[in-house]
Amino acid sequence: MRPNALVGFTAVFIGVAYGTMASGLRGHPSGNQPVSLFPIGLGFLMAVLGLFQLVLEARKGRLNLEGTPPVVLPASSLRPVLGTAGFCLFYVLALERLGFILSTAVFLGGLLFLVNGPRAWKTNAVLTLLFSLGAWALFTKVFHLYLP
Amino acid sequence: MVVLELLLQGFYTALDPLNLAWLLGGSLLGTVLGMLPGLGPSTGMALLLPAVLSLRPDTGLIAMAAIYYGAMFGGSRSSILLNIPGDRAAVASCLDGYPMALNGQAEAALAISAIASFIGGLIAAGTFVLVALPVARFSLRFGPPESFCLMVFALAATAAVSREVFLRGMISVLLGLMLATVGLDFQTGIPRFTFGSAALQLGIHFAVVIIGIYGISEILVNLEKVDQDLPKPAQVHIGRIRISLAQWKRSIGPIFRQSPIGILVGVFPGTGGLAAALTAYDNEKTRSRHPEEFGKGAIEGLAAPEAANNACSVGAMIPMMTLGVPGSGTATVMLGALLMMGLEPGPALFGQHPAVAWGVIASLFLGHIVCLVINLPLAGLLVKGLYMPQKVLYPFILALAFIGVYSINFSLADCWLLAGVGFAGYLMKKFRVPTAPFILASVLGASMESSFRQSLVLSDGSLGIFFRSAISNVLLIAAFLSLARPFLSDWRTRKKQGKSIDVPIE
Repeated sequence: MRPNALVGFTAVFIGVAYGTMASGLRGHPSGNQPVSLFPIGLGFLMAVLGLFQLVLEARKGRLNLEGTPPVVLPASSLRPVLGTAGFCLFYVLALERLGFILSTAVFLGGLLFLVNGPRAWKTNAVLTLLFSLGAWALFTKVFHLYLP
Repeated sequence: MVVLELLLQGFYTALDPLNLAWLLGGSLLGTVLGMLPGLGPSTGMALLLPAVLSLRPDTGLIAMAAIYYGAMFGGSRSSILLNIPGDRAAVASCLDGYPMALNGQAEAALAISAIASFIGGLIAAGTFVLVALPVARFSLRFGPPESFCLMVFALAATAAVSREVFLRGMISVLLGLMLATVGLDFQTGIPRFTFGSAALQLGIHFAVVIIGIYGISEILVNLEKVDQDLPKPAQVHIGRIRISLAQWKRSIGPIFRQSPIGILVGVFPGTGGLAAALTAYDNEKTRSRHPEEFGKGAIEGLAAPEAANNACSVGAMIPMMTLGVPGSGTATVMLGALLMMGLEPGPALFGQHPAVAWGVIASLFLGHIVCLVINLPLAGLLVKGLYMPQKVLYPFILALAFIGVYSINFSLADCWLLAGVGFAGYLMKKFRVPTAPFILASVLGASMESSFRQSLVLSDGSLGIFFRSAISNVLLIAAFLSLARPFLSDWRTRKKQGKSIDVPIE
């Protein structure tokens, strides 16, 4: 599927789903607060714009006109991007379970090893330790903020 | 006289030791962030958003403004030495800045870019002083329908950047507005789009959206090319940063001519520094007696865009502080900070918090002096920052993004949302869906819906209220023209090309 067509399809899906949910919103008992009118309008407009996008792409395809270039994710960049995504998910899962210092050390250390490479392991380890402990000290001791 | 008194009061606020320290720090951070390709002022300001909550409003806004114009100063460093713009607004500075460095004039290029940025910024700050009160007072005439129409105009202008991304820009606006409707309804308390989640009842904080887009998705995009090495600089040894009298004489005209253009472009929502710099460059090239020198190291070709992009950055703050409508994506982050601190832009800001409003304005003058000092005598030292290994920087930015968002409400749900918005933003960038309209819509969404509903209550449900006042009509026409602009400009280009293109004979 052409990238723009996928954007159009997603917009129609979101527009219809959101609009349907909006139309099910209960109004205020006083009746003078139209809680659903604005969202219904947004859902309707989204679906219409998505349809427009789909029609334009279909027309381009029929006329063999050049569309938007395909979405490319080079194989070399898959590792850092997906790895980073994985570490981000780990961090959110671990922050309150493992505590700030440990989870930040694993998150940051892992990312540095992934992005900066294992050869610079000394630099990575020192930076990880300094940041994890330094950030904890700064937030809890200086700003007096709670960190898990 | 009133303005002068208020400005003096502003200088008193800006010269407070804490504000001065943040002004220095912000200017330095902005310059460094502007210098590093791939990172811009928006990322720095987004990361600072949670910290702003623990600062005084004047201090937070002064720091953010300093990052913004500091980045405009720094952006040209890598344009001149590496031919890679540090920031989007510095693209035009590559055109003549890099050839100047290749010709062995890196010092002059670095000097004129700093001087032009300084003068451009000062002219814009002076303009801000002159127009701030009249515009803020004018906005007193805005009722709910006018406010709604103003936001429609701002969103339309931001979405319709070009014909290619027109529909995707509009889709991006709607996505942002949809996100802003999540949570308890602000007037009735009815939960909307929360899927039964208690965490979503508070809504999706726009700080999460801003940090997700500028802190997470920006880094994910940069990580794709993390293994690419930066090119070798055009000139390794940097001598004394200065320009000759002849070079100054050639630059002064373009600086003073193009600064007002930068302000005008900055005031208009959805344009930004890139448009200002390219317009200024094009203007100077068109009026030059030696257009053939442009692109080969003409100093005018560097002075004009540099003055314009700094004037634009200050210009973008004018509608943000006086009307609540930011002139650029980076000014949107500032508006977010303003709202997070519980301040209302417009007459309320200037009337109830004059120390904050005028403190920020006065800091623009002081900050530009600080940036000039950082970028002239310390330029040789700063240039070493270009070799900072960015792959080390990215993990820290990601960590700061998560810690910052967590510290807003101490809620893990915000971290989940941050990750979600970050990856959604990455996909948007991959599918060329502009993210600036999405962010602006998520910041303005709540006020926009509130104005819409207040208007309908006033008119007993009639949509005709949006067409009753002259201000609303002018704003709606402006919104329509903004939407039509990319099509009109395409049509004009094609018409021009049609006249000049020769038909090839086979």
